[in-house]
Amino acid sequence: MKHQPLPLVQGTLDLLVLRALVSGPMHGYGIAKLVQERTEGHLSIEDAALYQALHRLDRQGLVEAEWGPSENNRRARYYTLTAEGRRRLREDTANWRRYARAVEALLGEA
Amino acid sequence: MKRFWYLRRGRNRVATELDEELQHHLDLRTEELVAGGMPPADARREAERQFGDLRAAREYCRRQDNEKDDAVRRQLMFEDLIQDLRIGWRGLLRAPLMTMIIVGSVGLGIGATTAIFAAVDAAYLRPLPYSNPDRLVRIYTDAPPNRFLFSVADYLAFTEQQKSFERVAGYTNRPMAYSDGQVAERVDARIVTWGYFGVLGIRPAMGRDFTEADGRPGAQPAALITASFWKERLHEKPDVVGSRIRLDGADYTVVGVLPAALGPLEQGRACFLSAQYATPPRKGPFFLWMLGRLRPDVDRAAAIDELRAINRRMFPIWRSSYQDERATWGMLDLKTFVVGDVGTIGGLALVAVGLVWLIACVNASSLLVARVTSRRRELAVRAALGASRGRVLRYLLAESLLLATGATIAGIPLALAGVRIVRAFGAAYFPRTAEIGVDGPVLWLLIGLTVGSVLLFGLVPAVHGGAEKADALRESGRSSTASSGVRRLRRVLVAGQFAIATPLLVVAGLLLATLSALGHVDVGFDTHSIVGGGLSLPPAQYPDAGSLVTFWDRFRQRVESLPGVAGVTFSDSRFPDSLNNFNNFELEDAPTPPGKGQPVVPWVAVAPDYFKVFGLTLVEGRLLDERDAAEQNVLSVVVDRAWARRFFPNGRVIGRRMIEGGCTTCPHTTVVGVVSNVKYVGLDKPDQGTVYTALSPASRVSFISVRTSGNPSALIGPLRQVVRELDPNRPFSTVATVDDLIDTSLSGRRSLSVLVSAVAAVALLLSAIGIYGVMAYYVQQHSKEIAIRMALGGGRGDVFRLVVVQGMAVVTGGVAIGLIASMAATRAMASLLFGVSAVDPATLTGVAAMMTAVALAACALPARRAIAVEPASVLRDE
Repeated sequence: MKHQPLPLVQGTLDLLVLRALVSGPMHGYGIAKLVQERTEGHLSIEDAALYQALHRLDRQGLVEAEWGPSENNRRARYYTLTAEGRRRLREDTANWRRYARAVEALLGEA
Repeated sequence: MKRFWYLRRGRNRVATELDEELQHHLDLRTEELVAGGMPPADARREAERQFGDLRAAREYCRRQDNEKDDAVRRQLMFEDLIQDLRIGWRGLLRAPLMTMIIVGSVGLGIGATTAIFAAVDAAYLRPLPYSNPDRLVRIYTDAPPNRFLFSVADYLAFTEQQKSFERVAGYTNRPMAYSDGQVAERVDARIVTWGYFGVLGIRPAMGRDFTEADGRPGAQPAALITASFWKERLHEKPDVVGSRIRLDGADYTVVGVLPAALGPLEQGRACFLSAQYATPPRKGPFFLWMLGRLRPDVDRAAAIDELRAINRRMFPIWRSSYQDERATWGMLDLKTFVVGDVGTIGGLALVAVGLVWLIACVNASSLLVARVTSRRRELAVRAALGASRGRVLRYLLAESLLLATGATIAGIPLALAGVRIVRAFGAAYFPRTAEIGVDGPVLWLLIGLTVGSVLLFGLVPAVHGGAEKADALRESGRSSTASSGVRRLRRVLVAGQFAIATPLLVVAGLLLATLSALGHVDVGFDTHSIVGGGLSLPPAQYPDAGSLVTFWDRFRQRVESLPGVAGVTFSDSRFPDSLNNFNNFELEDAPTPPGKGQPVVPWVAVAPDYFKVFGLTLVEGRLLDERDAAEQNVLSVVVDRAWARRFFPNGRVIGRRMIEGGCTTCPHTTVVGVVSNVKYVGLDKPDQGTVYTALSPASRVSFISVRTSGNPSALIGPLRQVVRELDPNRPFSTVATVDDLIDTSLSGRRSLSVLVSAVAAVALLLSAIGIYGVMAYYVQQHSKEIAIRMALGGGRGDVFRLVVVQGMAVVTGGVAIGLIASMAATRAMASLLFGVSAVDPATLTGVAAMMTAVALAACALPARRAIAVEPASVLRDE
């Protein structure tokens, strides 16, 4: 690793979790692994924060939790995007892109 | 499936599942690290390090989960409630008669109670609509047992010397003729001292208040008019302030217009004129009502002390014209004065309608208990299928909630209609009717009645239905062994209905008996053929005695020439609504002992032919004549029998002498005749003696009474016409036959009696429905038993008697309790009764007989059905 992993910008964790669930139901550990792999270790997500995000999204009705069998033959909680969650993901992704472009445009001048 | 899971899941469950999830995560991470070559113990530690603050995360997640859980639970409960309501709604639609009876009767109770409460609230509970009303008092001359008004001398001395009040004011009412140049109308004016509106805290909406200058003798007469006077009489003329209006032939400058909303004291007044009082030559007459606003820092006892001190100081100054040394000044809260004795009547009406509501709820309760019983199987099935006892209870309460809501919805228009009626006609016994409205406390009462209804007729059957055990499933639907508890409960409820209805009927009976007794009171003359009205001649147009005498003479001649007129006479008071004078006197033969007040009796000035026109009989001595009327002082008076009996029970009355009105310089007054009694003080009051004096032929104010040979009402039009022809600017006031006046004076009592009787009738009807329901159910439940009896040779009469006796046992118990209760209750209304005792045996027996008769009829219907049973068919069905 060339760089220290970056701390997460406020408010992006929920977006990342929702994005991770697009491909299908996953449990918490699976999401953690997925984020780590996709960002090649550039982003550091604490497991504690991840679970807090999952339960928060569950309360908000953006994801749904159900028990199911896991790889190691135990019971795991699998999270699925709800229709509401999908819509939120679309909106937040668009917002994030606009935000990033705006920041980039500003920084490009320097 | 999900619903079930959520209902089972509790707080512990939430925590356990969360722990399992986190544990699983840590295990997977450890396994991965071990697979990467780390020793298991280190791997576990590393996994926990990577996880971060486990405890905080666990706490946060648990909170989120619990919140979600609660939300879901609420949602489910709401859905259950909707479902309960839907089931309840369908159930009620299947029993339309019961639903209608409950909604209608409870709605009636709620509506009537709300309307009466609104009136009591406006009259009794609300503070007066003046600024800081708790500091407002009425001040009066206190000469127990009488309370007198103030005189101008009193007012002037009091305002000058007092220090306890921010401001004080006096007022007196006067009907006046308002003329707009073409026609004259009678308006109710009030003469006020300049501080009147300041005392009450009322500011004119336009223009200015009266000032001290307006009250000085000789100033331009000033008037403040009400918003309605401005609107109706002056057509909202914009430049009204500064313009002149003509009252009793004199001009008044309008200095301002009052706001539309005034207080109860101002009700019915059209305009207010500034009084101008100069120091009077003698202490009387006493005609000023006094108001005062206490200073915030002065307590009442100190203010009363000051009132007495001022009164004592001024007493010697007026000794020559006023001797009642015992009389002092007192005060009472303005609210007490305004409210008057509304307590008894308002309380009685409120209790009566409240009881109807209660009885309607009990009736509903009893009907619903019966319904629960007939649905025991349904409820038992629900319970057996896993519905908890709480769920069944909720389901039954939902039904009650629907019924209560329906009743409230039915009750609201009734309440509004009731409020309109009380506003229009209730002024006879409720002050402040204009302020009655459905708001604030009235709305709370409405909500309270709805909730009370749900609890009253919901809880009893619900608790009962909820207690049903699954055992009911095993029993046959027709079995009655398990329902004996229900039967007993229903009987208690129905007995309760009769116990509540009985006092209502007793009160209604007593009020009707009172009304009838008042209608039969001998007032002292034949009321059927007398018609009359009042006239007042102002100094502006009738400046001297000559013009007054001319007017009355011409008036008399014109009226005497009308067809059907048998006699015309004049007086300054009129039976039964206008007794204007009381006077005190000192008998020569029976001087008032020191420390006691002089006797005070009605004092009526009459024209010489008054006795003849009214048909009063001369018992002794002579009547008054023209010579008596011409005297400056009152030298001769005629008294009535009651006076003679009161003051000279054993001796001769003719020739007795007295000093009238405390006038020490006047010559003695002699009794010259005794006539029969007239009930001037009121139909329901004992005779206290009346003194007749001669009416001056040049009086300004007079009542005209005409005896007719035909229909007296037919003469009202011609009488008005005579007045119009003689003086188009003179409004002829309160023209009516004496019978109509008596009728009007009884209207307050009559509407109270009608209200209570209607309420009692509803209560009786509901009780009859109650006992009918119980007995119909009894017959249905015992059809087998009855069939067996009859199959074994039992007579139809026996069966009939069996059913009726069962029912009447319940009724008799309730009526007995009710009679005992009413004997206690009617004592509180003794002040409303006349000519009948509060425990009148005839009324009590009559009510008991009536209730028994109605109950017998209600029991006879099911009993007839019982004897119509065909034993063979019933037993075959078994």
